[in-house]
Amino acid sequence: MQPQANMPKLSLPNIKTIIAVASGKGGVGKSTVSANLALALSALGHKVGLLDADIYGPSMPTMMGINGLIDQEKTPLPLEKYGLKIMSMGFLVPPTQAVIWRGPMVHRALTQFLSDLDWGTLDFLVIDLPPGTGDAQLTLTQTVPLNGSVIVTTPQEVSIIDARKGIEMFKQVRVPILGIVENMSYFIGEDGKRYEIFRHGGGTKLAQEYQVPFLGEIPIDPKVAESGDEGIPIVRKYPENNVSKCYVALAQSVIRELGTMIAPKELPKLDI
Amino acid sequence: MVESNFSLFPNALKKQGDQSLLVEWSDGHSSILAWKHLRSNCPCATCRDERGKPANPFQILKPSELVAPAPTSFVPVGHYAYRIIWNDGHDSGIYTLEQLRSLCQCTECLAKNNS
Repeated sequence: MQPQANMPKLSLPNIKTIIAVASGKGGVGKSTVSANLALALSALGHKVGLLDADIYGPSMPTMMGINGLIDQEKTPLPLEKYGLKIMSMGFLVPPTQAVIWRGPMVHRALTQFLSDLDWGTLDFLVIDLPPGTGDAQLTLTQTVPLNGSVIVTTPQEVSIIDARKGIEMFKQVRVPILGIVENMSYFIGEDGKRYEIFRHGGGTKLAQEYQVPFLGEIPIDPKVAESGDEGIPIVRKYPENNVSKCYVALAQSVIRELGTMIAPKELPKLDI
Repeated sequence: MVESNFSLFPNALKKQGDQSLLVEWSDGHSSILAWKHLRSNCPCATCRDERGKPANPFQILKPSELVAPAPTSFVPVGHYAYRIIWNDGHDSGIYTLEQLRSLCQCTECLAKNNS
């Protein structure tokens, strides 16, 4: 693991709890889980921020219905929508333009998003990580006082394999793992039957393997994609939907685990 | 929550004269680590690569042998490692806690590593 040349530990005293949402694999619904988890925490009465740390492929502008570039001289960042404070690279770069950056630029952008913006006082900051175990993950684990991580996976083995890598990364960098969420767990058909499209039980199996909590299952519902594409996440648009209730249960599980966890201690310093 | 990897933790770091570092671990063990030993075991990609190469027969002294290695800065990285900035300007090595422990030069650890 290579560090950046300058790596000051960020001090974010106004943010009580910082949670990273991660997965080893892309396409498991990490951004959908991040957005809806943030909204569910907000629905439970907390002040919540949402940072889209996927510099190369930001999804939050679409999911949160914030289209078009933001003129930073007229509109202060982070933006406020649905009761959340939100920041994404997608507010600064047109969706048709690729961000072709090496690691140090990603590092700089993420540290600026965290330290140079006025997030105000937050109970929770949910960070939507890009897939994998690369620069964004390293920057955040090295410079941000993360309180815990939530690992998202889908039920099938091919996703579990990569989720293991995410868990191993957090273990190595000593960020507490709050638990595993199984997204796209099942589908309830019009006949009322449960269909396990992507198989079943991968998330539970992974949680048992690593002895971490299983935070819950999020079912498939066409309304999730519909509301996400519309820019109104399902927890906001259909709060009474079963999926939304699963997200509220997930938020409660996250809060419960944060309450029971032993926070990692600060490393002692050496005076030279 | 995964906690098992958090069990090993340094309670205190102290300089032992100008030559070495003393680490007092949460399990009661104390590690003595000479700066020279730490510098020559730098875990960065460049130093690992250098260590893997055959020795240069024309090089009489290694750069680290010209001036005794000493840290100018010893900075925590997250909750899992330290970054050492050396007096030769090298600063890219991140020493995880596990690596620091494995480099311990106390009599007990040296005997264990040699057995």
